[in-house]
Amino acid sequence: MFRVTLSGLRAHAARLVASTVAIVIAVGFVVATLTLSETTRDTMLEAVGARYVSAEVVVTSTTGEPVDGVAREIAGVPGVQAVDLATSTSVQALVPGRSGAQYLLVDSVAEDPALRWQQLADGALPDRPGEAAVSERVGADVGDVITVTTYAEDGVEESSQVTVVGVVDLGGDPGAGLNGRAFVSGDQVQAWGALGPSEVRVAGTGGTDADALAATVRDALAGQDVDVRTGEEQAVREAEGLTGDAEVLTLMLLVFGTVALLVAGLVIANTFAVLLAQRTRELALLRCVGATARQIRRSVLAEAALTGVAASALGVGVGIGLAALVSALVGTDSPIPLAGVSVPLSAVLGGLAVGTLTTLVAALAPARAATRVAPLAALRPLDPAPLRSRGGLLRLVAGLLLVVPGAAAMALGTAESEVLLSVGGGALSFLGVVLLAQRAIPPVVAATGRLVRSGGVTARLAGGNATRNPRRTAATATALLIGVTLTTAMVVGAASTRATAQAGLAAQYPTDVVVTGNTDDGIPAALPGRLATIDGVRAAAGLSAGGVTGPDGYEGWTLGVDPAQAAPVLRSTDDLPLPSEGTAVLPWWTVEGWGVEDGGEVVLTGDDGAARTFTVALGDTDHPLLTTADLESLDPDAVADTVWLRLDDGADQADVVDEITDVAGSLVPTASVSGLASERAALDEVVDVLLLIVTGLLGVAVLIALIGVGNTLALSVVERRQENGLLRALGLTRGQVRGLLAWEATLVAGVAAVLGVLLGAGYGLIGVASVLGGQGEVVLSFPWLQVAAIVVVATVAGLVASVLPARRAARIPPVAALAG
Amino acid sequence: MSAPVPVMTVPGEPPPTTDAVRATGLTRTYGRGATAVHALAGVDVAFARGAFTAIMGPSGSGKSTLMHCLAGLDAPTGGQVFLGDTELTRLRDDQLTKLRRERIGFVFQSFNLLPVLDARENIVLPMQLAGRRPDPAWFDAVVARLGLRDRLRHRPAELSGGQQQRVAVARALLSRPDVVFADEPTGNLDSRSGAEVLDLLRSSVRETGQTVVMVTHDPSAAAYADRVVLLADGRLAGEIDSPTADTVLSALRGLGA
Ligand SMILES: Nc1ncnc2c1ncn2[C@@H]1O[C@H](COP(=O)(O)OP(=O)(O)O)[C@@H](O)[C@H]1O
Ligand SMILES: [Mg+2]
Repeated sequence: MFRVTLSGLRAHAARLVASTVAIVIAVGFVVATLTLSETTRDTMLEAVGARYVSAEVVVTSTTGEPVDGVAREIAGVPGVQAVDLATSTSVQALVPGRSGAQYLLVDSVAEDPALRWQQLADGALPDRPGEAAVSERVGADVGDVITVTTYAEDGVEESSQVTVVGVVDLGGDPGAGLNGRAFVSGDQVQAWGALGPSEVRVAGTGGTDADALAATVRDALAGQDVDVRTGEEQAVREAEGLTGDAEVLTLMLLVFGTVALLVAGLVIANTFAVLLAQRTRELALLRCVGATARQIRRSVLAEAALTGVAASALGVGVGIGLAALVSALVGTDSPIPLAGVSVPLSAVLGGLAVGTLTTLVAALAPARAATRVAPLAALRPLDPAPLRSRGGLLRLVAGLLLVVPGAAAMALGTAESEVLLSVGGGALSFLGVVLLAQRAIPPVVAATGRLVRSGGVTARLAGGNATRNPRRTAATATALLIGVTLTTAMVVGAASTRATAQAGLAAQYPTDVVVTGNTDDGIPAALPGRLATIDGVRAAAGLSAGGVTGPDGYEGWTLGVDPAQAAPVLRSTDDLPLPSEGTAVLPWWTVEGWGVEDGGEVVLTGDDGAARTFTVALGDTDHPLLTTADLESLDPDAVADTVWLRLDDGADQADVVDEITDVAGSLVPTASVSGLASERAALDEVVDVLLLIVTGLLGVAVLIALIGVGNTLALSVVERRQENGLLRALGLTRGQVRGLLAWEATLVAGVAAVLGVLLGAGYGLIGVASVLGGQGEVVLSFPWLQVAAIVVVATVAGLVASVLPARRAARIPPVAALAG
Repeated sequence: MSAPVPVMTVPGEPPPTTDAVRATGLTRTYGRGATAVHALAGVDVAFARGAFTAIMGPSGSGKSTLMHCLAGLDAPTGGQVFLGDTELTRLRDDQLTKLRRERIGFVFQSFNLLPVLDARENIVLPMQLAGRRPDPAWFDAVVARLGLRDRLRHRPAELSGGQQQRVAVARALLSRPDVVFADEPTGNLDSRSGAEVLDLLRSSVRETGQTVVMVTHDPSAAAYADRVVLLADGRLAGEIDSPTADTVLSALRGLGA
């Protein structure tokens, strides 16, 4: 019997392509997701956590107070070899070859080699003041001399020079961002005005156990406001803080992976059902010559198991390959950096098990059906399956039993932001929808067929033909429906994820780039206009700055803005409203400091002692913000100081920022440039990669559908040979015969595509709402164009699938009708 | 109804034929070499307008093959077939297809109707394919004559064998084709239903001048015809005018059937 199974597999290899591809996609998807998630964690750990992984123990303050006090205590703990007090500051730096000053984040380098974590691309780490290692972004080479400007406590400008001794490769550290980084000795950081050390990194003596050392240190520091963690723990903690976004994505992808698996199961079940239906006579013949029902079932299941194992193995490979591809495309310059691939063993084993099991389970029902084939079936023609079978009713009941609670769980999960609940509900309800689709599709196809009656006799005939074998039509359409639903859900989900993330970023960082003069004389009035002409800069707004006295009696730095000019620059005014005449936008600290409230009033006093009352609007700003005119009325000496810039969405952010730095620097040597433009661009890139994967998925889903639709039509052509002959005899031309099958395919594919898009849009929007709902406000975005493209592609794919069967049908001679 | 006969004839041209369909030197060979079967081995035959002709002969004598070639369903190996003045043997597939739906009606032995269409839709199918509208009065007349008025909305599966054949006859008559070809139209029917169908065919010839060519192996069916053409081994083997069941039977015996 096993020999029969094997030869059966060989003979039907082409037909098995559909189920094999289905398993490969599903397993590949799951494995790729798990692999990418692991790779992200590893890359993050390496990039962000590098400084912690090198230490056995890390001590951080719970209050934000400097921790230099505890450092001495730690040094005395037995088993501690060295401690490093990490200090940091920021400076303006002038690099040779660049006209503008850069804003550099400065960190101290540990004295003990065991605690030095920086990866050097070139040169060495600094050992003494006057030396610095810089990140690649700074654009300096070993041997360059950098001029650094710092401000002392009293605001006096100081200048110093350091020699670059090394270049540091920061890998995928997302904290690197737009700013350059410099690493100098602890003494140099102190000289530049260190911000108190916020953490102590501890190296143990050779062979110490990190956990044990952490416990010892914890005991020694008992009662102080510090957290003691092992280096590993701290690294994971830091990485998790930064991978929050990545984890949401992983979660979403896994949700879709689960759905993909369910889908694959259904596609496989359908393929096996069609396959066995085509082989009814063959199976019956086997029964006739003495095979028992049990032998038949075992043969079918063995076929499924072999297919499952082979396809799953392929899927694991494809998944890892896909992950590597994505990793290579995304690279490390992204908020979700990826370096190489880290393949977790669980992904490989899980993928294999899940794929094989899904195939086996999916084949169970068709296998049972196969055992019910009567030996006599070998001797009589196939009769079409009736619509109202017991299985059909069972399916209706089971479908409703799954959809109703599934939808309820999904609604509850979305409302309560319980991701797991809505995911479970989504999976459950989708399973139900698929079961219901088996019943719903034939009537919908029939109704649509009646609608297209105006398309002529062929359309009318096709409508009838499409619903002649409701079970088969339903199976074919469901396979396509599942693929389309999944793809649409992904596309809609990705669009909304992007919109939500962008809205969040826009509200939080309404300006792309900020250029500050850092000089009391003000910046040239021409600077905003000059910056606006840079390729890639969409709009610029100049702000003036002056001194205004608040209700507390202290004069403070206050900015003036022209709201009409600034409006097109800001990406969002959600968190930072623009002032109008008579309104002051105040920082949040003024609620406590000045006792003001949003919408209330505040009295501001000008240079000449004249007081004016303003309406208060609170916003995310460092300094009070007035209109330029209001600021001038209070402080006639206010000077142009700051430029807000908005960049073009498609521009190469790093290049534009470099040019802005150079232009600003050539006009105002002290000018500094900061901003978050790069974050936005990087996020777009991630979503684009995601969409690329989705497009790939669509491609494969379409391929499966193509095979499925083609399979079914080919079967119909064989079955309807006589009928097609009759039509030819009665006057249907060859072209019309082809049209008949094309209509039939389009009808089935079109209905599946439209239903799938509707379902997918629903699931996509609900999925986004429930996954992102917990993270804040969700912006739903519906990519009409892409969704329309899905309908068209899926329908056209169906049409294409009809080409080969249609050609075969058109070749049937009219006399075939009479060869009855 | 036959196509209108031209009143004037052009000098020098052959006189307008009064035959609805005729074949000259018709051969049809299946296979080649030693295993070749000469289903038609040179047949010259003509069928007059407005006549009901039966083609008879022993099983395997080439009756169906002859009909297929006459009706443009199959391409003969040699010889010519004329439908009126149109030489079928010269037409391309699409032209033949259009000619079939416009000028020929068919009644087959079985599987005559499309299962997805109801009776009405089946009846008008060839005219719809040709993009023509059936004349409502004629449609009503045909349907009434065939007793199908209250069966028009039924699908073939809901009709008896006799009703199905009557629907097929209605379809064949509706477009008033040059010729109606029927291949053993009563082969699958009980004798009463069969007699009804044959009556309908004969009355359409008598009352509306329809030309009908019918293949049958049943002598009593052939007795409905005006003339019987006998076939044996792919050749003409005689004719009987105004046949009766007895004359046909004895003629067939003579052929060794
Ligand atoms: N498609 C075919 N291929 C080969 N031989 C055929 C084919 N159709 C008919 N024949 C042969 O041609 C001869 C005439 O067949 P047919 O016209 O069907 O006879 P009848 O209808 O008189 O019984 C028979 O010998 C038959 O076997
Ligand atoms: Mg025959």
